[in-house]
Amino acid sequence: MHILEKLENVFLTEIAVDLGKKSLDPGEDLLEQGILDSIGIMKLIVFIEENFGIKVEDEEIIPENFQSLSSMVTFVGQKMQNK
Amino acid sequence: MDFSLTEDQVVFKESAIKFAGQALNAGAKERENKGEFNREGWGKCADFGVQGLPMPEKYGGLGMDILTCIAAMEGLGYACRDSGLLFAINSHIWTCESPILKFGTDHQKDKYLPGLINGSMIGGHAMTEPDSGSDAFSMNCKAIKKGDRYFINGTKMFISNAPIADVLLVFAVTDAKKGFAGISAFIVEKGFPGFSVGKPLEMMGLKTCPMGEVILDDCEVPEENRLGKEGAGAAIFNSEMEWERSCLFANHVGAMEKNIEECINYAKTRHQFGKPIGKYQAISHKIADMRARLELSRLVLYKVAWLKAQGKRAPVESAIAKLFISESYVENCMEAIQIHGAYGYSKEMDLEKNLRDSIAGKIYSGTSEIQRNIIASFLGL
Repeated sequence: MHILEKLENVFLTEIAVDLGKKSLDPGEDLLEQGILDSIGIMKLIVFIEENFGIKVEDEEIIPENFQSLSSMVTFVGQKMQNK
Repeated sequence: MDFSLTEDQVVFKESAIKFAGQALNAGAKERENKGEFNREGWGKCADFGVQGLPMPEKYGGLGMDILTCIAAMEGLGYACRDSGLLFAINSHIWTCESPILKFGTDHQKDKYLPGLINGSMIGGHAMTEPDSGSDAFSMNCKAIKKGDRYFINGTKMFISNAPIADVLLVFAVTDAKKGFAGISAFIVEKGFPGFSVGKPLEMMGLKTCPMGEVILDDCEVPEENRLGKEGAGAAIFNSEMEWERSCLFANHVGAMEKNIEECINYAKTRHQFGKPIGKYQAISHKIADMRARLELSRLVLYKVAWLKAQGKRAPVESAIAKLFISESYVENCMEAIQIHGAYGYSKEMDLEKNLRDSIAGKIYSGTSEIQRNIIASFLGL
């Protein structure tokens, strides 16, 4: 499964399950839509670290890295390349 | 898996116990009655190295690892009768020093850390507002950038150390559209234009830790005093809370141990109906339960320390530790009073004070209910 699919899946099945959505637009602003909240981001970081084998520094938890699925894919991809 | 302390850690913990017993307890009762902060004790703690326990030697700290910090905090909690002072110091370390060290620029670290560590400055953070407590990120306080300065407007409530603080880490909304990710953190000095502190708030317990309201009226903060990037406030807050939940409660574990020793001693020496009350299961079972809660509290605390020492995240484990230790401490304080009867209920002993102090632990650093929310959320609920 690619990074995007894994991330979308964790949103649909764990983080934003109450929304009842079947898919998420990669460019959708998850922060402005309130899809990603303060507890959701904690779960997301744990998921990313466990599933992609990277360490997300606290300093990297900023809007530009987690605004949308697309920005997360870019962030995770870069971190994986620099491992 | 080995959670035992090293010989050095045991020695350091014992030195913290000796220090607290000798340097911090004189006049504690009078300060408690007057709700008076022990500034002299604050200085003594800094001289001992408490404020710099986890801070690098470069800035004047002791550079201790987390387990050693916890061991020292346990020792202080065991021997120091001034829980308000310990709470003030922990707020200072985990919600001001620690985030500046982790997220600060070199300039910010050089400017603030030495003073915070050597005891000449007092710090804290300002998050809670009159209308946002558990829902911390729903704050109203706003920071608007004009040129190279931010102007912060809002009111912060129940801010530990506010009346005595030289510097506070203030959280404010910089982009309201982004929810929790639109919050930023600012290092605000007490002398900044537009910054003021209301009169100290009188609380049920922790009376020697000054607490107050902070008013930010067009408070002018240089851009260089923003901590981390814009929008990093939530990450900074979550990080400091995880550390605080992991380390502050070591004081409680130490205090629980002392509490149990006092109960055992009383149960052995207090005679009723011809024998020591500890020979009655009604009393001995209470103390056995207290001991079990202490043991489990220490285990969850050390588990979190072990995880964090390895650089791992511990959102659930620190929530479990905070929840379990704070609630266990309250239960143990209640039982200690019951075991001591009228003596426990009287103000002659510290037991009623311990209970008042312990209840705060279920509220600050995220209420017990919020800890359960975090745990439940990670269970998919």
